[in-house]
Amino acid sequence: MNVIESTALGKRYRRKWALRDCTLDIPGGHIVALVGPNGAGKTTLLTMAVGLTKPTEGGVTVLGGVPAGSPDALEGIAFVAQDAPLYRNLPVADMLRVARRLNRCWDQRRADDRLERLGIPPRQKVGELSGGQKAQLALTIALARRPGLLVLDEPLAALDPVARDDFMTSVVEAAREDDISVVLSSHVLAELERVATYLIVLARGQVQLAGSVKDLLASHGAGLEEIALRHLRAGVPTTSGTDAGR
Amino acid sequence: MTTGTTTASPGTTAARRPVPWRSIGWVTLRQRRGAMIGVSALLGVIAIYLVIMAIIQNNAYAAVTACHPAAAVKCQQLAQNFSSTYWGGHNSALQSGGAQTVSSLMFVVPVLLGVFVGAPLISRELDTGTFRFAWTQGAGRTRWALSTLVLPAMLLTAVTGAFTALLWWYFRPFLADGQVSEFLPLAFALLGVAFAAWTLFAYALAAFTGTLFRRTVPAMAVTLIVYIVLAIATATAIRPHYEAPVTVAGWNQGGGAGWVISSWVKAPNGQQLSQAAVNRLPIPASVQNSQSPDAFNNWLAGHGYTMWQSVQPDSRFWQFQLIEGGWLLVVSAILIGGAVWLIRRRGA
Repeated sequence: MNVIESTALGKRYRRKWALRDCTLDIPGGHIVALVGPNGAGKTTLLTMAVGLTKPTEGGVTVLGGVPAGSPDALEGIAFVAQDAPLYRNLPVADMLRVARRLNRCWDQRRADDRLERLGIPPRQKVGELSGGQKAQLALTIALARRPGLLVLDEPLAALDPVARDDFMTSVVEAAREDDISVVLSSHVLAELERVATYLIVLARGQVQLAGSVKDLLASHGAGLEEIALRHLRAGVPTTSGTDAGR
Repeated sequence: MTTGTTTASPGTTAARRPVPWRSIGWVTLRQRRGAMIGVSALLGVIAIYLVIMAIIQNNAYAAVTACHPAAAVKCQQLAQNFSSTYWGGHNSALQSGGAQTVSSLMFVVPVLLGVFVGAPLISRELDTGTFRFAWTQGAGRTRWALSTLVLPAMLLTAVTGAFTALLWWYFRPFLADGQVSEFLPLAFALLGVAFAAWTLFAYALAAFTGTLFRRTVPAMAVTLIVYIVLAIATATAIRPHYEAPVTVAGWNQGGGAGWVISSWVKAPNGQQLSQAAVNRLPIPASVQNSQSPDAFNNWLAGHGYTMWQSVQPDSRFWQFQLIEGGWLLVVSAILIGGAVWLIRRRGA
């Protein structure tokens, strides 16, 4: 099953194309790193996949053919936008209640356990949490929804190194425990290299490289960062790995 | 903290039920807790003042009605004192703190409430980015938008509608006295369904502009300006035309006759005189300089001129209230519908 599948997908903001002719299959069961420089179209691609934005051209389906943004897609995907936007004026416990009542599927025990393990007090206001705690709260809410696909847009951008490491550990654990697919975007591959099992390099609104990490390492005989850099420099779409740009 | 594990597993989507309205409604109310407290506080403070004043005024007016015979100088004096003390004199309306001043200040309450509750609803979500959270939950964007916009609208309308009962009580002596017509713009906007309807309109306009501009403060400013312009235009230019006014003979200046839209003079030959023609009439200086307001009218009548008025009778009060409430409700519904439409088509 492909968790995200796009066909000739394009998005134009006013006169500038943020993403153009993007055809892409992201297979399920992976932790997918979506990497590219700032302005490459990562956020645009993800916001279309989670149904926040409608494509200008082409189409995108999720979770094995469900139209993006449809009720089934919304229920099956948990999305954490950049900077983990949550209601700052609410106490943590109420933030959970809000999320619980906006979803049919909700695992309160799991959310409570995670917060207790993280040491996030339920009565604390969301706005008073540290950046790392806020990101963890957003992840907790996303996981309590028991999604089939977890989408994280630049989850590490605002975190300090320790919080980054903790966060990525949480993501990997959750992916393994719940057997869910994860897509993370970042402009720094090094952050994701340790955990990613699938790599997509996006630049200038187009896919430059896509494939499972294992295949890429085998066929290129170089480090992941090296491979990504080579494709970002060359700027030409390559069909290495399994199913890039097909 | 509520515990307990809920509900369906994500795989079983065969018979997908939407998230119930009552759940989404809870979220709306939780997020509007601050606004609800603010509205209650403002109306509560005003209500305390109105209750105290209403008791004092109703007691004072009871003394006026109890005075017999009504034509006696003592009673006339009492009635005049009541009117000037509690309604407010002609010259010192702002200092007197009478009901005239209070009802002028009350004119801004609907727009304050509407702007305070309506403007941040969607604009804050767009401004802070939390819409990326709200619109990607299982409930879906449309249901979220309908709950977020419609539930506070219903609450606000209900609360201000109930508040009108207090305003009626507060106004009762002045209306009974005949000094004040229900049609007086100050009174009309606070009585009947108008108070709630104008609050709803201000709310809907603020919510719509907030969605359009994505910023709270510009939405507040634009709503305030549009509201004041429309409220004044309605009182002066739109409301008089809800129904064709009735033409009556004679100039009745006091209350009880209804709402005077215009008045004119006809010459003895039946021709209507322009204002300029009236000014050219050979009125003797003794009449022009007279202290009595009736001197001019008596002179006109004595020389074969007739005086006419076009009037909206007091009996049309509820009809006019429902017409005004009706179109404000329709406009508000269109604005809220427009906000939902903007939310549905808005990208991230």
